[in-house]
Amino acid sequence: MKKGDFVIIGAVLAAVLLSTALFFVRSSAGTTVTVKENNETVYRGALTEDKIIKLSGNTVEIKDGRVQMVDADCKNQLCVNHRAISEKGESIVCLPNRVLVEIE
Amino acid sequence: MAKKITLYGIFAALAMIFGYLESLVPLTFIAPGVKLGLANSIALLLLCRGDFKGALSVNTVRILLSALLFSAPFSLVFSLTAGTASLLVMRLLAGRKSVSVIGFSIAGAAVHNTVQLTVATLLFGRAVWYYLPFLLLSALFGGGIIGTLTQIILKKVQTNQKF
Repeated sequence: MKKGDFVIIGAVLAAVLLSTALFFVRSSAGTTVTVKENNETVYRGALTEDKIIKLSGNTVEIKDGRVQMVDADCKNQLCVNHRAISEKGESIVCLPNRVLVEIE
Repeated sequence: MAKKITLYGIFAALAMIFGYLESLVPLTFIAPGVKLGLANSIALLLLCRGDFKGALSVNTVRILLSALLFSAPFSLVFSLTAGTASLLVMRLLAGRKSVSVIGFSIAGAAVHNTVQLTVATLLFGRAVWYYLPFLLLSALFGGGIIGTLTQIILKKVQTNQKF
């Protein structure tokens, strides 16, 4: 092992730390909630603002920076069983009712 | 020339065997796609002897043949770009006196994995960057092991000038 080897090992380790840090920054909490029904935006607001949004068949709840589908009249109830979302890029979809909840 | 061709042929065959042996002992439990990179020790060996052209041709032949024989031709895009890029970086470092085989083996492995991830991102259009820390760490270990191995081989080979 020579001096240059340690420089290379250090550089790779630094890259590991940097990419891990970047990962955490990028997956940070989102800011905006968008609710779409039939491809039309029916609600758009801050994640911090607690709110209950009633749609024709679904009810979306924004509470404590997390969004959850609390009620749906669809058959499979997949969206209701989906865990609450809070991070950028996460979404809850209710296919039967064509509802999409997304965090940006 | 004839001797060189024979030598490169043997090296290419050996590198392919290494690649095959590796596929028998999957390391995918660490992270998907992770491998030791035994075949790279051949390229390292040639680079240490100052034979970049040899390393490049043996590497290219190995990648082309392994892709044709063992894996989907699609994977060629990944292995060819990554293999060539890492070889170029290793060549640059191999010329430096302050860096040993272990050093440029690690650098080569890190470049290899990063380029593969870049190609994957370009092809699939979706960022898979969260995977980078794992790939870089495995490059550190894999590159280190292969570099050390090559150093041992080099020592043995130096005493046997017939090679």
